[in-house]
Amino acid sequence: MIGYYLRLALRSFRRAPGLTALMVSAIAIGIAACIVTLTVYHGMANNPIWWKNGELYAVTVNPSTPNRTREAGLPAYGPGQLAYDDATYLFGSSIPKRKALLTFLFGSISGAPDQTRPLPTMTRATTAGFFRMFAVPFRYGGPWSKAADRGPEPVMVLSGRENHKLFGGADSVGRTLLWSGHRFRVVGVLAPWHPLPRFYDLSAGNGGAFARPAGAFIPFQWGPVLGDWPAGDLSCDTHGSSTTPTTYQELLGSSCTWIGLWVELPTPAAQRHFLAFMQAYAANQRAAGRFQAVNTHLWTVSQWLTLHHVVSHRSGLLVNLAFALLAVCLINTLGILLAKFLRGAPVAGVRRALGASRRQIFAQHLVEAGAVSLAGAVLGLALSAAGLAGVRLMYRGSSAAYGKFAHFDAIGLAWAVALAFVSTIVAGLYPAWRIGRRAPATYLKSQ
Amino acid sequence: MALTSHPLLSALRRNPTGAVLIALQIGITLAILVNAAAIVTRAIQKMSRPSGVDTRDTFVMTMVGLSKNFNVYSTSSADLAYLRHLPGVAAASIVFGTPLTDNGSDTSVGRSPGSRGPTVTSALLPVDQQGLRTLDVALIAGRNFRGSEIRVPSAAHPDPRIGEVIVTQALAHALFAHQSALGQTIYVGSHTPSTIIGITRNFMGPQLGQHAYDTVLAPEIVTQYDMYDLLVRTRPGQRAAVFRAAKRHIGTADPNAVIGQAVTFAHAKRLLYSGLRDLAIFLSFLTLVMLALCCLGIFGLGTFNVATRTRQIGIRRALGARRRDIVALFLAENALVVAIGAIFGCLLALAIGQWLTDHDGVARLDPWYLLVGVAILALTSQLAAWQPARRAARIPPSVATRTI
Amino acid sequence: MLEMHNISKVYRTDMIETHALREFSLQVAAGEFVAVSGPSGSGKTTFLNVAGLLETFDGGTYRLDGQDVSGLSDNARARIRNEKIGFVFQSFNLIADLDIFDNVDVPLRYRRMKADERKARITNSLELVGLTSRMRHLPSQLSGGQQQRAAIARAIAGDPALILADEPTGNLDSLMARQIMGLLEKINSMGTTVVLVTHDPELARRAQRNIHVIDGLVADTVAPSDPAARGPHGQTHAESAVD
Ligand SMILES: Nc1ncnc2c1ncn2[C@@H]1O[C@H](COP(=O)(O)OP(=O)(O)O)[C@@H](O)[C@H]1O
Ligand SMILES: [Mg+2]
Repeated sequence: MIGYYLRLALRSFRRAPGLTALMVSAIAIGIAACIVTLTVYHGMANNPIWWKNGELYAVTVNPSTPNRTREAGLPAYGPGQLAYDDATYLFGSSIPKRKALLTFLFGSISGAPDQTRPLPTMTRATTAGFFRMFAVPFRYGGPWSKAADRGPEPVMVLSGRENHKLFGGADSVGRTLLWSGHRFRVVGVLAPWHPLPRFYDLSAGNGGAFARPAGAFIPFQWGPVLGDWPAGDLSCDTHGSSTTPTTYQELLGSSCTWIGLWVELPTPAAQRHFLAFMQAYAANQRAAGRFQAVNTHLWTVSQWLTLHHVVSHRSGLLVNLAFALLAVCLINTLGILLAKFLRGAPVAGVRRALGASRRQIFAQHLVEAGAVSLAGAVLGLALSAAGLAGVRLMYRGSSAAYGKFAHFDAIGLAWAVALAFVSTIVAGLYPAWRIGRRAPATYLKSQ
Repeated sequence: MALTSHPLLSALRRNPTGAVLIALQIGITLAILVNAAAIVTRAIQKMSRPSGVDTRDTFVMTMVGLSKNFNVYSTSSADLAYLRHLPGVAAASIVFGTPLTDNGSDTSVGRSPGSRGPTVTSALLPVDQQGLRTLDVALIAGRNFRGSEIRVPSAAHPDPRIGEVIVTQALAHALFAHQSALGQTIYVGSHTPSTIIGITRNFMGPQLGQHAYDTVLAPEIVTQYDMYDLLVRTRPGQRAAVFRAAKRHIGTADPNAVIGQAVTFAHAKRLLYSGLRDLAIFLSFLTLVMLALCCLGIFGLGTFNVATRTRQIGIRRALGARRRDIVALFLAENALVVAIGAIFGCLLALAIGQWLTDHDGVARLDPWYLLVGVAILALTSQLAAWQPARRAARIPPSVATRTI
Repeated sequence: MLEMHNISKVYRTDMIETHALREFSLQVAAGEFVAVSGPSGSGKTTFLNVAGLLETFDGGTYRLDGQDVSGLSDNARARIRNEKIGFVFQSFNLIADLDIFDNVDVPLRYRRMKADERKARITNSLELVGLTSRMRHLPSQLSGGQQQRAAIARAIAGDPALILADEPTGNLDSLMARQIMGLLEKINSMGTTVVLVTHDPELARRAQRNIHVIDGLVADTVAPSDPAARGPHGQTHAESAVD
């Protein structure tokens, strides 16, 4: 019967092509608007390491404000990074399965064969745990050892991009390079790796949530050893009393925050244990007069993303608007379908007289509505592909988030199917029901 | 006209659902239109705040040292000497921070030492004697720094004291309200007492957000961080050429330094408002699409209705209705539906406005927007209904006698 | 075939109640050809609608082909309409955007028949009414008489036991009218029961029995004037038509 209904629907479309085109494009536009905004929104709200969400934690220590809930419902967690003393002390704990200190250094790499000019490189100074903890994929070699952290040994991991620029993509493990004039040995080269958002470092001063990962990685302690100032976020506002440090030694002793600390705590016991360890440390510091408050937190990746407003209110606003637009489109279609079906009521009456049941008339019209929605969804997919391409074009070469997520994905497809279904139900169900409910004799007489 | 009032209601009564649906559509569109217009207007207002600097001809180049042999003072002096000799350069200066961006230091500034008393989170922009001239920011009171006042502290000889400062008008106002700020002592970064020797016109410093116009200019060449910023203003229209030349020369002049970043003020300003601009664009686009669809819906349904009621209209014409009676009938029908939709839309608009105020801190919706929104929607929907109405009026009276 | 006993039907609107049928009793035997006449508004169409299960009734009993049809579900009523009843209307009621073939196809579609069987039946019934050459024409491309013949083809395609015709000749000239009447007689002669509402006394006279309806009541039944005109009882055919 479906085949018959589809043929009838097609006939009906041919009878009123303008109206049909209007309905199909209304649904298409509504669906496309939803898919484009949702795709971008989902990209931003994405947790790129969701499978470790209950195990990875960002550490914050707020030395000045007690643990109070602010208006937004979030605790006053204070700075997103730690001061040197706090970071290195907490990093010393053996409770976490893995752990990493993170900061940014600005370096230049030279000494590769055929290299004519030094390559300015944002460099992640971190510890060995970084790579395994964040599931960083390697193309060649691997991470450095924990022993290399302590030395620190002159070892370096290159990103795939940088390795391509320096060595044309060849296996460079074992080669020696000059990093800001110091000799470093390459121990590993990463496979392409660009988690979005860059969950482990969301601070605006380090490029924000959608920046590219660093070009090179070296052991964290090289910063203090070389006295190389952090090139990323450095905030000295925490106490409102300290002056800005002018020497590197002053920086290390200051309460300025510039270091990220992540820990991997796979079990609830480890989490409780580490939290207690942090609290004891903060209490000690308060007793010593360094802290005014004990306010320490562990944040899962998704909490961390929420905390940093990675998903902006604005994109949420646009998603809502897109759904309002879809609603208008569906109401539009609903009105047109209703008018169209009611106009066809005499024919439905004839069909009823010839033996069609209420259910069959209902099914016939629902199929027609479904065909409109389906056509709308297909056209909507094409429109959203075009829309996403447009957004990409608008943001070509920019670091804004929209452009990065404007790619068609399975989620978009799933939404299209779901929205087409919803469209049929919303726009088609009522008119089909109305026409099916009509008493057959009503329209036979009036002719 | 007496003809139009009664059939109007009866027509609506015959297909009330259709009328309700159109009213609903108009209501939602109105509510969205009004709120989007309010948001976009505010965004445009914010984007048109003056930057206070010459965004056409100014750029900043951030130089980063690569080794221990790097000396900020000597390298920057050579860079500046080169730049100031370029024919296209109007002025060049060494600073630490980039106006119109978040690259820079901020500090708390107050009238009393420490964190006692109210403080303002202000940007701190160290400049040399040429700083004001390069920024092209005029003093409205006081004087510029003297050569002797420019300090060059280093790691070996730190000098945390800031003797004299120049502040923006906005910061002066924030600290001293209507008192004269000139000659007053302020505390920058909690401890150092400084004297205000000059007050500038407002401009956007190296700090964004609500304090963008609050900046303290300090007479200092910052040398201890292995990096510095070159601020360059060119003669009108020369920026691109100077930018290219500077990049080529300065990028290779000192083997111990590289250009870390180079941004023009124009680019920085674009970036500054990119979020707002995108919001405004997307919001306007989606809202216009919605309005267009709403009108197309009215048009489509109107056309369809005319086709369905051909015979009835023909009979009306046969009974003596003039063409414009028919047009008036259809437009009056539409107006009635729009009126119902407008009432619903106004309520919905206020509700959405309230929600936005509660959740996003958007300012309360100005009732003027409602008025204008209703007018726009009434006008466009009448236009959309007009064409089908005219088509209806063209139906000849003879169809009444024909069977269809 | 059709047994109505004290059927009543009331139309209620906001303002008035119309008693379209009151104590309407009528029996039609299988294979009979009955003509119904009466003034306009007397309830003839209402009777046909009730008889054809297009409308429900308010009181009385109605047995169709031995089956009590009061209280049947919509589905069951649709099924009976589809399998046992064929309608012919004054205004033809062909579906304007389906060609003749597809119009005749409609009742068969709702019976979920196989394509080849449908095709055979459609060609048969179009042949019977003499429209084989026009089966790919749209209704608007045919004359009134041809349209009504197409409607008759549609009514008989499903081999119904009962044909209900509501003033089928009302829109036609007398020549066409006689043609249609001949067609109905031919169908009746093959065993199908025919109930014909008509104003035309000449046509009514050709029926086996005349019924006069006034004010929703059966006023009088006129016995067949000429027993010889009665067609043979095509029982076998009628039975095979049902399922
Ligand atoms: N749907 C209806 N609603 C109200 N009254 C109706 C309806 N259909 C028919 N009637 C009334 O029922 C009576 C019988 O009508 P009908 O059976 O059509 O008469 P006939 O076919 O004999 O001319 C008439 O008075 C008519 O006005
Ligand atoms: Mg009648």
